[in-house]
Amino acid sequence: MFLTTEEEQSLQGENGEAVQLAMSVLVKLGEMYGADRMIQIENVHVDASSYYGISDAGMEFVEKMAEMGAAYKVPTTLCISSIDFEKHADFGVSKECVEKQLRIARAHSTMGANPTWTCTPYQCGSSVKIGQNIAWGESNAIAFVNSVIGARTIRCADFVDICAAITGLMPEFDLYLDDQRKGSVLVKLEGLDTRQFTSADYAALGYYVGGVADSRVPVLEGVSKSVSTDQLKAFSAAVSTSGSIGLFHMSEITPEARNLDEAFGGEKPSETMVFGKDELREVRRSLATEDGADPEIAILGCPHYSLEELAETAQLLKNKRVSPDKQLWVFTNKCGKQEAEQKGILGKITESGAKVICDTCFILFPTPAWELGSIATDSAKMAHYAPGLGEFRVSFLDKEQCIESVTK
Amino acid sequence: MESSPIRCNTLLPGVARGTALVTSQPICFWGGFDPKTGTITERNHELKGQNVTGTVFVFPTGKGSSTTSAILLESVRCGTAPAAIVNLKTEPILVIGAIIAERLYDRVIPIVDTPELDLTKVIKTGDWIEVNASENEGWIHLRR
Repeated sequence: MFLTTEEEQSLQGENGEAVQLAMSVLVKLGEMYGADRMIQIENVHVDASSYYGISDAGMEFVEKMAEMGAAYKVPTTLCISSIDFEKHADFGVSKECVEKQLRIARAHSTMGANPTWTCTPYQCGSSVKIGQNIAWGESNAIAFVNSVIGARTIRCADFVDICAAITGLMPEFDLYLDDQRKGSVLVKLEGLDTRQFTSADYAALGYYVGGVADSRVPVLEGVSKSVSTDQLKAFSAAVSTSGSIGLFHMSEITPEARNLDEAFGGEKPSETMVFGKDELREVRRSLATEDGADPEIAILGCPHYSLEELAETAQLLKNKRVSPDKQLWVFTNKCGKQEAEQKGILGKITESGAKVICDTCFILFPTPAWELGSIATDSAKMAHYAPGLGEFRVSFLDKEQCIESVTK
Repeated sequence: MESSPIRCNTLLPGVARGTALVTSQPICFWGGFDPKTGTITERNHELKGQNVTGTVFVFPTGKGSSTTSAILLESVRCGTAPAAIVNLKTEPILVIGAIIAERLYDRVIPIVDTPELDLTKVIKTGDWIEVNASENEGWIHLRR
């Protein structure tokens, strides 16, 4: 792998211990993937941010980097935390978890991170553009930023994102390269009008596509241009849960697929699949566990709900109360929460008895709610991971049905 | 009895010895392995309940999670990591965890892959193995 004089000096430790460690990780990664050189990146989203995700060792790594004088060289946002920074006291999170999360937050802040605490930095905190090289962690964010925005990142693993932020560099391989961004498999929608699709339908579509494409770049044909940003978010989260997908194209919708020919880079698809009414029904059924019924808690906001989704939730909750023996939790980020507060939307949600939780995610937020037996969600990602978390029974429903299932 | 050494590719240099723990099934570190105890916890895995601590851990490859690096690092911190790792094809993310572990906890876990023989068939659990991995080439010595 070719290194410039400056990169070589960083690797030899001339720019400090932290930069040396970061460079040695990136060079090794590049060698393993056969990269020819390093490229400059302009933005990082760090997934190594929650205590429950990275454990004590991850915390010690972040603290050690900060102690060694590391500083983030490019704008760097943070993924979710294991606590709601303002309201953790309301949720029975252990003192140890709170203290250690605060230590992680301090170390990232010392290095200059923007404390966004969200899995949707593309809706809160990051402004990246088509064609920019970036280094992002968190699967939904990676799929969205590559596919919907057209910026370029590989699927960064934990700590690689931190090394990229410290050096402003990444080895050039995989999705940084034009020929790796070409479509490979075609999924044709037939007999479906996606203008009628809910976010949960888009999540089911994504879950199907990820499963059949596995680690190839899928291209979709037949999705209506009416698809919203939030629906593309639901799709991104699902497609990257069931498959190792960092990039997809939707013909005539996403920026690198102005038409089918462009999506495939002038080549033919290696395989073509059809997604119709039967597939949609079957995927939606498979996302629920067989015994999924009578949910005790409904989880919305995976990935984090935007202002628009919070507004819709408030609307659906009009004249409803969360049942006394049930719960409704809505996850969002600071941007969503603050704007919803200013517009009076937040109050409309909470006065129904629902909780709006900021900065974190049900899966990485260790509360006594993990002991519950049955959840409802509109997220394919949550439906996929929840059964492994606490052996939850899962109902996979549209947002409206989720709300109905826990309210009166 | 010592058989002739088996050549492989070095991903992380070092020397380590231990009893082999062998599986032909991929290992999922996130959700399938408990770093606090070093035990394989994946449901339906043939090694479920086995402990990897101090072994030369021989498995074909990892099963994708971007958190693998953090789990291996935590395992080193807790003193439950294997002595060495031998794969047919190593997931790069595992190596990243091991590089950081070396710097943070001063503990080297040599990692080698693409052996000239399918080691998951040649080596059996309980065999005594030495992994000797230099920058350029790795060797596995097997004693029964």
